[in-house]
Amino acid sequence: MKYALFLGCKIPSRLPAYETSLRAVLGHLGVTLVDLDFNCCGYPARNYSRDAFVVAAAHNLALAERAGLDLLTPCTCCFGTLRHAIRFLDEDVELRARVSQALAAEGLAWSGKTEVEHLLPVLARTVGIDTLAAAVRAPRTGLRAAAQYGCHALRPSDVTGIDNPAAPTMFETLISVTGATPVDWHMRLDCCGDPLHEANAPLSEHMTRAKIADALESGAEVICTACPHCHLRFDAVQAGSTDPAIRTLLYTQLLGLAMGLPAKSLGL
Amino acid sequence: MSSTLFQTLLYASLTLCGLGLLWRVSAWFRVRIGPDAQEVTPSQRVATLIRGAASALFGRQLFRFLGAFFLDVLFLRRLYANEKLRWLGHLLIVVGFTVLVLMHALAPVVTAKLFPGYQPTLAPYLFLRDFLGAMVIVGVAMVHYGRWRRRNGFSTTRGPANAAFMVLLTIVLASGFLLEACKIASPRAFYRMTEEYIGSTDPEQLKPLRALWASEFGVAFGDLREPIDPMLVEQGRELHRNACAPCHAQPASAFVSYPVAQALAPVMGFLDRSGADAWLLYLHLFACFIGLASLPFTGFFHVLAAPVGLLLNAAPQNLVLSASNRASQRALALDACVRCGICDVRCSVAPLSRYLGNPGLLPSHKLIATGALANGQLLRTGHEYDALRAADGAFLCTDCGRCTSACPVGLDLEDLWDAERGDLAAAGLARPAQWVQARPAFTWAESLEIDSAKRVISDADVSRVPLSADRSVFSRCVQCQTCTNVCPVVAHSIDSGHGVDLTPQKVMNLLRLGLRDLTLGSRMVWDCASCYQCQESCPEGIRVADIMLELRGLAVQRLGSVRSWRQPS
Amino acid sequence: MTRAKQDSCDVAIIGAGMAGMAAALFAAERGLSCILVGNGGSLLFASGLLDLLGVHPVAERRRWRLPYDALVALAREEPLHPLARINAVSIRSAFQSFVAALGAAGLRYAPLGERNRNVLTSIGTIKATHGVPISMIAGADLLDALDARPSCLLVDFRGLREFSAAQIAATLGDRWPRLRHQRIEFPGYEAAAELYAAHLARALETGKTRERTIALVKPLLGDARAVGLPAVLGLARAGEVHAAFEAGLGVPVFEIPTMPTSVPGLRLLAALEAAVSARGVRRRHHATVRALAFDGEGGTATLALDGAAGGVRARAVVLATGRFTGRGLTADRRQIRESILGIPVHQPGSREFWHQRDFLDASGHAINRAGLLVDEAWRPLDAGGEPFWPRLYAVGSILAHQDWMREKCGSGLAISTAWAAMQHVARQLRGTAAG
Repeated sequence: MKYALFLGCKIPSRLPAYETSLRAVLGHLGVTLVDLDFNCCGYPARNYSRDAFVVAAAHNLALAERAGLDLLTPCTCCFGTLRHAIRFLDEDVELRARVSQALAAEGLAWSGKTEVEHLLPVLARTVGIDTLAAAVRAPRTGLRAAAQYGCHALRPSDVTGIDNPAAPTMFETLISVTGATPVDWHMRLDCCGDPLHEANAPLSEHMTRAKIADALESGAEVICTACPHCHLRFDAVQAGSTDPAIRTLLYTQLLGLAMGLPAKSLGL
Repeated sequence: MSSTLFQTLLYASLTLCGLGLLWRVSAWFRVRIGPDAQEVTPSQRVATLIRGAASALFGRQLFRFLGAFFLDVLFLRRLYANEKLRWLGHLLIVVGFTVLVLMHALAPVVTAKLFPGYQPTLAPYLFLRDFLGAMVIVGVAMVHYGRWRRRNGFSTTRGPANAAFMVLLTIVLASGFLLEACKIASPRAFYRMTEEYIGSTDPEQLKPLRALWASEFGVAFGDLREPIDPMLVEQGRELHRNACAPCHAQPASAFVSYPVAQALAPVMGFLDRSGADAWLLYLHLFACFIGLASLPFTGFFHVLAAPVGLLLNAAPQNLVLSASNRASQRALALDACVRCGICDVRCSVAPLSRYLGNPGLLPSHKLIATGALANGQLLRTGHEYDALRAADGAFLCTDCGRCTSACPVGLDLEDLWDAERGDLAAAGLARPAQWVQARPAFTWAESLEIDSAKRVISDADVSRVPLSADRSVFSRCVQCQTCTNVCPVVAHSIDSGHGVDLTPQKVMNLLRLGLRDLTLGSRMVWDCASCYQCQESCPEGIRVADIMLELRGLAVQRLGSVRSWRQPS
Repeated sequence: MTRAKQDSCDVAIIGAGMAGMAAALFAAERGLSCILVGNGGSLLFASGLLDLLGVHPVAERRRWRLPYDALVALAREEPLHPLARINAVSIRSAFQSFVAALGAAGLRYAPLGERNRNVLTSIGTIKATHGVPISMIAGADLLDALDARPSCLLVDFRGLREFSAAQIAATLGDRWPRLRHQRIEFPGYEAAAELYAAHLARALETGKTRERTIALVKPLLGDARAVGLPAVLGLARAGEVHAAFEAGLGVPVFEIPTMPTSVPGLRLLAALEAAVSARGVRRRHHATVRALAFDGEGGTATLALDGAAGGVRARAVVLATGRFTGRGLTADRRQIRESILGIPVHQPGSREFWHQRDFLDASGHAINRAGLLVDEAWRPLDAGGEPFWPRLYAVGSILAHQDWMREKCGSGLAISTAWAAMQHVARQLRGTAAG
C-alpha cells in the first residue's frame, strides 16, 4: 500500500498532531506515504470560479499521476474538493480541454488515472478492520466517542462514495475496533459550522455549539474527528467558553493509542 | 582626488545614510498595518521594543538572543534550510563585501593598524581584493540564478531603486577591477614610482627594471621589444629588490585584475594618456559614496531590518504576540523582505495565481500590496484595479503557513496577511461573502437591471456555469421542500436570529423562473455551508449545493462588475 | 489508480423506492450480496403509513376494514393483479419482516394484526391503512372509540404553514365535538416567520427544546384524554421524543402526518437506508443506469452507470424503477415504453384509450393499469411472451394490472412483490451456484 500523502493547507500549519499521528499509525500498518510538492486543493476558489478551482485541483491530480500514485488525504474538505474536480472533469469535456491546456502550460497532464482516497475508507477497507483489530494492543475500553464524519466524506455520495450517506457505519466500526464505544448522536451527520465561519460567524458558532451540546447530551466523552476543519472548529468554539466542553480526539490518535503507540508519537 | 573633496563626499554620504536609516527605522514604529495596530501609538511601540531589548540584554533571554544572533543572523540557518544555493550565494556576498569594506575601504583604520606592514600592492592583499570581489560577483550571480529559476511569469516585485543599486554595485566592482588592472599595466604609474623611489624616469637607465616589470609585473610598455632578454630581467631584479619589493608583490595573484591588465595592454598607451586611473578612481569612489547614501532607500536596507526581525523573533512569546510588537514587526517585515521569491514558490495557491493571471495571490506581491495599503497608495484613485486584485489575492490565501515557514528572514507572514485582510475589509474591500451580503439581493438585481449591458451572459460564461444556466435542470424541481427541510443553515438561522432571506427551494424556484440575478446576492447562496444535505436528499437529483457554489462564482463576476467599493454600501 | 472500478454482486436492484428498498432488505436477509442503485427520494413523499389494500373494486370505491378479506375478493375478481398472485402467508411474512427491519432501525410500528386502521390526515379526513407507526397509533385508537366522544386536544405551531389544527377540528367538528385545538409558539423559533417540519423535528431531539415544548402544551391539556400534534416529534430519535411527550404530558400523544414531503417520509427513508446499510447492502445513490447488458443466458448482467461511480456486474437484476414519476416508464406521443431496456409494456391499443373522458372517473384510467407483464417467477416478458432474460425480475408499481393509488395498496404492492420475487431470485441463484 503506497499513496501520495495530500495534507492540504490546514494540517501542517494548524494541526500538526494530525500529520504526526497519521504517519505513526500508517507507518505501523505498513502503508507507505510519499510526499509530493502539492498545492492547495482548490477549495477557496470554489467561490470565485469553477474553472479556477478545478485547475488547482487538477494540478495536484497531475502531480500524483506523474508519480504513478493514488492520493490519500486525511482532510475531508480536500477530499471532497478533489473528488468534485474529478467529477467536473469527467462530465464536461470543454472544461477538461481548458484545464488540460492550463496544465500543459506548467508541463503537466492528467489522463484520469489518479484515484483520490480518504483516510477513513483506506483504514476500514484497504488496510481492513481485521488488520486494525490485530494491531490493537491497548484497547480504549470504556471511552465513549462520537464519530464526526464530516460532510464531504459522505455527501454527495455519488462523488465521495465512502459509505451510505444516510446511514453510514464506517466511522463507528473504526471506533469500535479500538475498543472504544461509538455513541449514537442525532447530529452526527451535520455540518460542523466551519465553512460558514467567514460568511456568518454567529450562525456558524450556533451550528458548532448545537453539535457539541448534542454530543454531550448523547453521553460522549470525546468527539472523534477525521478532518482538520471539523477538529479545529470544535476546539476554536470551545476555547475560552464557559459552556460544558467536550474533548476532541483525532481518529489517528485514538487508533494510535489503541495500538499502544506512545502518546508523544501521536502528537498528544 | 583631493582629500577635502573626498572627506566632504564621505561625510555627506554618511550623513545621508544615517538620516535615511533613521527615517526608515522610524517607519517600524509609525506604519500601521492591521486593525489592532490602529490602537497602539508609536511611543507605545518604541517602549515595547526597548522593554524587549532590555529583557534580552539583562535577563535569561540573553542566551536565546545570542543563539539567534549566531544561528539566524550570521549563519542564516533559515535560508540554509530552505534554499542552499541562495544561502551560499548570500554568504559569499556578505563575507566578500564585509571583508572588502574592512580590509580595503577602511584599510587606513583597520588593516594598517592590525598589520603594520600593510601595503595594498603586497601579497596577500592583491589576491584577497580580487578574491573578495570575485566572491561578491559569484554570490550575486548565484542569487540571481536562483531568482531566475524561481521566475513565475509575473513581473518582478523589486522596484527601480533596487535595480539602480545593483547598477551601482556593478560599477563599484567593475571600476575596482579595472582600476587595479590599469594600475598594474600602466607605464605611467611605473614611471611615477621610479621617479619617486629611484629618482629616474629614463627608459634606457631603467631598462633592466622595465624588463623585469614587463615580464613579471605585467606593465604594458608600448616601446619594449619582444622577446625580453632573460639576462636583463635578472639584472633588473637587483634594483627591484631594493627599491620596489618592499611594497610590491607580483600581481599575478590578482587573478581577475591581472588577466584584465594583460588584455588592456594594447590600449594602455591610450588609457594612460586619457588619465584612466584617475577617472576610474573617481568612478569607484563616487559609486561607493552614492551607494552608501542611497542604501537605506533600497531593498538593501534589509541588512539592518532582517537581523532585527530575526532577533525579535527570539523574544519571549508574550512580547512577540503583544499588539504593539506585532504592529512594529509588520512594519519591519516590509523592510526585511528582499523579494527573494522563495515564498512564492512554496505558496499553496501559486497555480491558482498563474491560472487567474493575478500575481496578487503570491506572498511577495501581497507584501507590496500590504505596504501600499498601509501608506494609502493602493486606495488612491486610479488604483482600483490593483486594489481589487490585491483583495482577491488576500482572500484566496488558505493560511497554509508555508510562506512563513519558508521565509529566510523569519517573517510572520500569516500575521501580516491577517492584518492586511483586516485593513482591506476596513477599506470596503472585504471578502465576497461580505461585500455581496452588505446589500440585499434585490438591490443587486436592480443594479444589474440598470446596468443592463452587463446582464448579457456570453456563451463562454454559460459553459462555465452549466448547472445554473440549464433550465432543464430546474424544470424537474417539484418544490417539495426537501432541500429546505434538510438544510442546517435554514434550521439554525431561524433560531439564532441571523436568518437567511431565501430557502434553498426558493432559490431553485427563482432559477426555474429565469430570475437568476435575484439569487446572486441572496444570503442563502452566500451562507450555504456546502454540506450537501440538500443535494444528497433531492428526490429529483438536482445538484442544489453545486448550484449554490456556482452562483457564488457568478455573483463575484457579475456583481463585481456593477460594484463600487469606494461608496459605502 | 483504479478509477474505473466495477463492483459485482448477486443481485443488482435498480430503483430505491419502497419496492427497491424492500427487495434489497429481503435479498440481504436471504444472504444474497446486493447493490442498490438510485436515490430513495420517492420515499420522501411517503406518509409512513403502510397501506396493504384499502379499496376494491376501484369503480365502486369500496373500502375494506379487513385487508386480507379484500385480497381474497381481489384474487377472485382480478386474478391478474400482482397482489392476487401472492398468497396471504407470503404477504404477512413480507409485512412482518419489513416492519421488523424498520423497528430495528428505530422506526417502530404498532402490531400489524388483521385490520386496517383509521388515521387522521392533515386536512382532517380519515384514511384507512394497515401499518401504523407507534407515534400515530394513539390517534387510530381514538378514532376507533369515536362513539364515546373522547376529549382530545390538537396542537399546532405558529409558522408551520402545512398543518392547521383549526382546520382539522373544523372538518371533524360534526363527528367529534370534543376535539379542541390550540396554537403555540415553537420554542427558539419565536422570531421566525416560517417553520419547517423537519427543523422542528430535529430541534425536539434536544432535551431542552423538548422540555420547553412540553411545558407549553401541558397547561392547555384540560380534560383531554389524548394530544394530537403535527408529525414533528423527532427524526432519528423519534421513539425517544414521542415517549418523552407521553411521559411529560401524562396522556397518549399521537402525530398526524403533514403534507408531503413530511417528517414521517424522512424517517422512513432514514430507517430504510439504515436497515439496508446494516445488512451490508452496497448503495449507489444518485446513479442512473445508462445501459444494461446481458452476457448470455447463463452469464451476468452489466450495468453502466452515469457519473463516476463505476459499473456493476450482477448475476440477477431487479427492476424496481416505478412508473412515470419514478421514470421506470416513459410515455411519448404514441406509446408507453420501459425506460432502460425497452421491455414491452402492456398498455391500451392507442393513446386515445389511455384516459377516461372524465379525469375524476371513479373507475380510474386504463393508463394506470399499464405496466410490465411478468411470468410466475416475476420475470418481465418480451414480445414473444418469454422471459426477457432468465434472471431479470420486476417488482413494485412498474407491474401491470394494478392501480395502487386508487386501490390504496402502494406499500402492499411494493413489499409483497419484492418478497415474492426475491424468493424466486434466491432459489434460482442457489440453483445456478450449485450447478
